Amino acid sequence: MSKGLKAEKEKCTGCQLCMLVCSGTHVNKFNPSESRINVEDKFPEPGEFKINYCIQCDEHPCVESCPAEAIVFDDGRGIYIVDKEKCTGCGSCVEACPYEGCWLDPSGSYSIKCDLCGGTPQCVEVCPKGVLKR
Amino acid sequence: MADGYTGKVLRVDLTGEKITTEPLNREWAKRFIGGKGLGARYLFEELKPGVDPLSPDNVLMIWTGPLVGTMVPLTSRYAVVTKSPLTGTFLDSYAGGYFGPELKYAGFDSVIIKGKASKPVYLWINDGKAEIRDAKNLWGKDNFKTEELIRKETGQSRARVASTGPAGEKLSLIAGVTSDLTRNAGRGGGGAVFGSKNLKAVACRGTLGVDVPNIDEFLKMTKEMLLKDVVENPDHAGSITDGTPIIVDMSQNAAILPTRDWSSGEFEGSAGINSDAIKTKVLVRRKACMGCGLACGSWVKARTGRFKGASTEGPEYETIGLSGSNCGIDSIEAIVKFSEECDKLGLDTMSAGSVTAFAMDMYERKILTKKDTGGLDLKFGNEEAFAKMPAMIANRTHIGDALADGSKRAAKKIGKGAEKLVIESKGSEYPAYDPRGSIGMALAYATSDRGADHNRAWPVAQDAYGSGDPWNPEGKAAICVEDNTRTSVKWSFIFCDFYAVNFTNMAKYYTAVTGVQADEPYLRSIGKRVWNLTRAFNAREGFTRKDDNLPERMEKEPLQSGKTKGKAVPRADFEKMLSEYYKLWNWDDQGRPTKKTLQDVGLSDIVGKLPYLK
Repeated sequence: MSKGLKAEKEKCTGCQLCMLVCSGTHVNKFNPSESRINVEDKFPEPGEFKINYCIQCDEHPCVESCPAEAIVFDDGRGIYIVDKEKCTGCGSCVEACPYEGCWLDPSGSYSIKCDLCGGTPQCVEVCPKGVLKR
Repeated sequence: MADGYTGKVLRVDLTGEKITTEPLNREWAKRFIGGKGLGARYLFEELKPGVDPLSPDNVLMIWTGPLVGTMVPLTSRYAVVTKSPLTGTFLDSYAGGYFGPELKYAGFDSVIIKGKASKPVYLWINDGKAEIRDAKNLWGKDNFKTEELIRKETGQSRARVASTGPAGEKLSLIAGVTSDLTRNAGRGGGGAVFGSKNLKAVACRGTLGVDVPNIDEFLKMTKEMLLKDVVENPDHAGSITDGTPIIVDMSQNAAILPTRDWSSGEFEGSAGINSDAIKTKVLVRRKACMGCGLACGSWVKARTGRFKGASTEGPEYETIGLSGSNCGIDSIEAIVKFSEECDKLGLDTMSAGSVTAFAMDMYERKILTKKDTGGLDLKFGNEEAFAKMPAMIANRTHIGDALADGSKRAAKKIGKGAEKLVIESKGSEYPAYDPRGSIGMALAYATSDRGADHNRAWPVAQDAYGSGDPWNPEGKAAICVEDNTRTSVKWSFIFCDFYAVNFTNMAKYYTAVTGVQADEPYLRSIGKRVWNLTRAFNAREGFTRKDDNLPERMEKEPLQSGKTKGKAVPRADFEKMLSEYYKLWNWDDQGRPTKKTLQDVGLSDIVGKLPYLK
């Protein structure tokens, strides 16, 4: 059973508050490009929002793909997270993930993905339309 | 410095193809915040009086504010600031969506553009750098296609684009600036200023982010405000459930819904174009601007009929009133089609709807014939002809050539009594609240700094939609003065109109982001400063009391039915409100800020630059 976030994307209105709070929480500034969740507005066609984040899938091909063994299991949270110190930014995990759940930060130096904010995902707290759930 | 500002202004000379970066004027930033205020101060300094707005000498600015791009709710906007080619006044026109925040993430508080490119170009801004790029392949393309092509060319799928459509390229004075496909800085002809400079678009992409001090405290505060002051604020209930179309029924009930070119305040077909019609017939999904918990926008698509497949965001109340009921159109699908055409071609839906209603009126009165309309039977309510009007205006074919310059100029060109029909102030078409059922709106329109407008003062909320007397001139000037002060602050931050944010909370956000200690009196003094500045700008351009005009029909043609039956705007009441308004602002009898008033509001530095004070 996946321990990641759940999203009802039909309810999303594209406000990107999740991206704002995520970057504010993780990198101490407002920068959607450094967010661990990504919402993209796809208009006029298909006329919907695409939401991407690490769903904490059971098969976790990112872990196997990583040559630096930087994607590690966090016992406390029960999920896989990126160890920024070990990560070399090679991008293997980005290619391996079938869900587009992780990506490189804008500097290209390391991979970023949802870590559930240590257990209290801030995006879930701020989402004004109840799209995101734990 | 972590204070919300990027601290950088991008300066572009299109004639000399020169791009420079300079520090933001911090002293001005403190006195004028951003958006409207800071833009007005820069424009006042950099634009010589009397400049032709479509000449290379006009200055075109895009402004954000310190809160834009942070998590302060409903501040995702940017302002297009320039001298309006439609009105000849100061122009500040706003759009939401994502462009404003992206410009800040790309490293700039503002872009200031002068001169004229020798061939079509667009400006590409990416993480602190900018370049002027060839726009040969973009010229002639609509706004939807332009965004798509720029994203393809730059390889940036998340690039944000503010562009002008074919209407602006052909210098239509009712052409706006369009971003995120359907978000428009519509009013005042900003698109024509783009066109006059051979500038197709300003596009940006940024990953630099925006800094605020004490981010942990800031996140806590904004999260709480988002919930308490935005999502759960009862003033926002209508924005969450309906958005602006909720006003259609309110105006119909008050009999102030412009109908068939302002010949009635009630429209028998209003049920076909109100919020319920949108929700049941065309709504696809609700859509928000960045950082907004309300999501008042509606993505819509016509599902049946002649216009099946037409799709856009909106239509908003103003669009529905001015292009719907005012054109005798009772089908929401037809309005969706008209709106989509305007978004793609780059026309302000308010003015485009108004000039279409005006053309229909002239056609019915036989001032125009099929020879003028290219064969269209341009009767009120003819959906097929109606839907063809945006293209006719944007492409300047047939009567569209005259209409593209707005109704005031078109009437002058057409003659035959057309001048007497025009409903405008300073050349800007009236918004969709008939002042014959809320006479304070006549004052609001006449005294708006960018020509007739509803976003500088909105007294209708307190009378036709509230409990006040819509026809008593007493107190209307005071409402306008208060609204001018508050909106001047709101548009300087830049907050969205639909955030019912009070001064105390604006001050709270301001202090949290910039560190500047502020409270209600502090912000009010900035509001007064900004409103006096734009008024002084217009006075320097030669505007006086005679330009704060009331269209003749509002005075001499009473409405015919419902609550507004027999009602007009008596000239004496209008003049009384106007005199009182000037008095409350401490302006002279020509409506110009006096030396003392300017000194009192902290504008001593512009006194020497106003010839009328010498």
